[in-house]
Amino acid sequence: MTDNPVTLGHGSGGRQSADFVSFLLESFRKRGIGPEMEDAAVIPGGYAITVDGFTVSPRKFPGGDIGHLCVCGCANDLAVRGASPDFLGISLVIEEGFPADEAAGYMESAAKTCGEIGMSLAAGDTKVVPVGGVEGLIMTGCAVGRIQTPSILSSSNIREGDSIIVTTSIGRHGAAIAASRFNLSVDGLESDCAPLWPALQPILGEKGLRCMRDCTRGGLGTVLCEWAEASGLHISLEEDAIPLNLQVKSLCDVLGFDPLYMACEGCAAIAVAPGCAEDAVRQLRQSPLCTEAAVIGRVLAGEPSGMVSLRTSIGGERLVDMPFGELLPRIC
Amino acid sequence: MPGSARETAALLRRISRTPLSVMEVCGTHTVSIFRSGIRSLLPPTIRLVSGPGCPVCVTDQGEIDAAISLLEKGAVVVSYGDMFRVPCGRGSLSSKRAEGYDSRIASGAMDALAVALENPEREVVFLGVGFETTAPATAVLVEEAARRNVCNLSVLSFHKMTPPAVRILAQDPGLGLGGFLLPGHVSVILGHEPFAFLPGQFGLPAVIAGFEPDQILLGLAEIVRQHESGIPALSSVYGRAVRPEGNLKAKAALERVFEVRDASWRGIGVIPASGLTLGKKYRAFDAEARFGITLSPGVPPPGCRCGEILTGRITPPECPLFRTKCTPASPVGPCMVSSEGTCGAYFRFFKGDQS
Amino acid sequence: MCLAIPHTIDEILDENRALAVAGAVRTEIRTDLIDAPEPGDTVLVHAGFAIEKLSLSDAEELLGLWDELRSLAGDDHAG
Repeated sequence: MTDNPVTLGHGSGGRQSADFVSFLLESFRKRGIGPEMEDAAVIPGGYAITVDGFTVSPRKFPGGDIGHLCVCGCANDLAVRGASPDFLGISLVIEEGFPADEAAGYMESAAKTCGEIGMSLAAGDTKVVPVGGVEGLIMTGCAVGRIQTPSILSSSNIREGDSIIVTTSIGRHGAAIAASRFNLSVDGLESDCAPLWPALQPILGEKGLRCMRDCTRGGLGTVLCEWAEASGLHISLEEDAIPLNLQVKSLCDVLGFDPLYMACEGCAAIAVAPGCAEDAVRQLRQSPLCTEAAVIGRVLAGEPSGMVSLRTSIGGERLVDMPFGELLPRIC
Repeated sequence: MPGSARETAALLRRISRTPLSVMEVCGTHTVSIFRSGIRSLLPPTIRLVSGPGCPVCVTDQGEIDAAISLLEKGAVVVSYGDMFRVPCGRGSLSSKRAEGYDSRIASGAMDALAVALENPEREVVFLGVGFETTAPATAVLVEEAARRNVCNLSVLSFHKMTPPAVRILAQDPGLGLGGFLLPGHVSVILGHEPFAFLPGQFGLPAVIAGFEPDQILLGLAEIVRQHESGIPALSSVYGRAVRPEGNLKAKAALERVFEVRDASWRGIGVIPASGLTLGKKYRAFDAEARFGITLSPGVPPPGCRCGEILTGRITPPECPLFRTKCTPASPVGPCMVSSEGTCGAYFRFFKGDQS
Repeated sequence: MCLAIPHTIDEILDENRALAVAGAVRTEIRTDLIDAPEPGDTVLVHAGFAIEKLSLSDAEELLGLWDELRSLAGDDHAG
């Protein structure tokens, strides 16, 4: 990585983040003790483990707050690996002067969400730093759960002919945050932040289930680019099949953003074997969180290999690349 | 009703019989064309060339350097998001923010006034970037700042004018251009007349189009129709938004606030009478006067061929730096940085050697 | 160089400002550059400013062009 210092772009998901993470992981990889690059890692004994830091600003947003987000983010990373949300550890780093009641409020949100999905708080740590040490409060979650699938879900399972499913309309979390940040009032826009375990449970037994990913920073587009790159295959999407609500579309139109790259926090991408897709969608739609679940594309062999392409609404075709850097509002 | 985008694309493939190079001037057209997949629907007879209508791409390094020096003097610099990552030798507004300087993003020109009012003890500078679509907003900002006596606000104007650049390209026989797809929203402001020289003086079809795929395809079809008939004209398929006389109020605001000067276009060089600077009446709000800045044209990095890209002489795959040394992660020139720069668009949306 | 989105004016705030809606986004816009804005008007908004009122339709004009294009392509006019 040639550019120093670290910028916000390095943390926004997409290609710049991916490069930065590789850079940071060099020390572990060269010793052969580096991690799996999936949302949660499989560890011996039939468990999966994940860790996630939460720095969202604003800390309260339409549809949730940082406490709710911490639990959902960690639980969803486990869920897409087929692991139940069993145990959570939380680390709080708090800036001196931050209202204690507000911190307790976020813990209340986190506890409520844990209660709803059967997750227990097993470990925790709290640190206070001087003013300026962090902006308000940072919450980090580490979660562990037992894998419930007959075999390990992984992007290495993806094959030519597989179908790609998305569980809900895309980009709602990113759009809700952007609306707050750029002072736009958007009727009916809420983050999609929600725990996916109950919705995904019914399909875990499917023989044709290849792998799943939690679409977070960088959105659906980033996840699919990572799958295409990892598998060396070509993922072809249908623009008209991708569920997108009016709120997210309008916000993206006004700010000049691409919905494919807007963050989600309650949306999974799923790859399944040919023939299993309709059944999987039908089962997903039983959940109120996944009523818009849909097949959005297929995995093909041939060119462009390792890339994602989109058949557009007007019948044309173009590539989908990973986003680069922070999404910034455009006037051009 | 005219047909859908699909029907228009099909029609275009049937009516285009002889080879034709069309320049689409506007960066927003470049992006819309790529994102909608229009390139994949065009007949092999049509060659679409991207022009210099990306105001971010043509902002000279010297201009960004001036903005950075204002940051270093302690000013708050407010800019549209498009400019944030464009580099000059000393970095970009984004990298300077990482170093602790106060650069901020505006989604509208009046955001700069709000920042100035909220920070009366700081100097706040607004970066006026963009063509004739965007300059009127800056004009209103300046007039309101003057009316309300907001003395800590000033404007660094890099606004440029589209017709002079288009004229230079139309004059160049080496480009082999057979028609122009004209920028819809610049035309909302200017009307038809400023581009009438294209058919009038150069015998080139010129069609004003909006930015939805059906608009772009209809505009291209009209260019092809003129080309096949041999009768060039200035016409518009965007009558919903573009009045032949343009937006008189916006043009009057430009007249009141700005005066025309020569401007250096990154990659192209100096184009006479192509830039807008604050007029004498508003000199007090001109950041160049307030901070004693002299703009000096920057030197392109070695090997950078953005100039040839911006004038449609080569396509990105023909630049040796494309995808090798010059990528969105490490852009050498502005065509790669800007979300609507030709190279950025090719990199993100397109694979293959054909233009 | 010109991302401008159609908005519908919902409420006039004063001589220079209005509340406008684009899809589900509600935002305050400046109206200095257009004449006599009224609730219900559809306007193009760029960088926080309405830059033009959109006229109801140019379908008739474009229909003429469409017919010419079809005839150039050798299409049957009957339909």
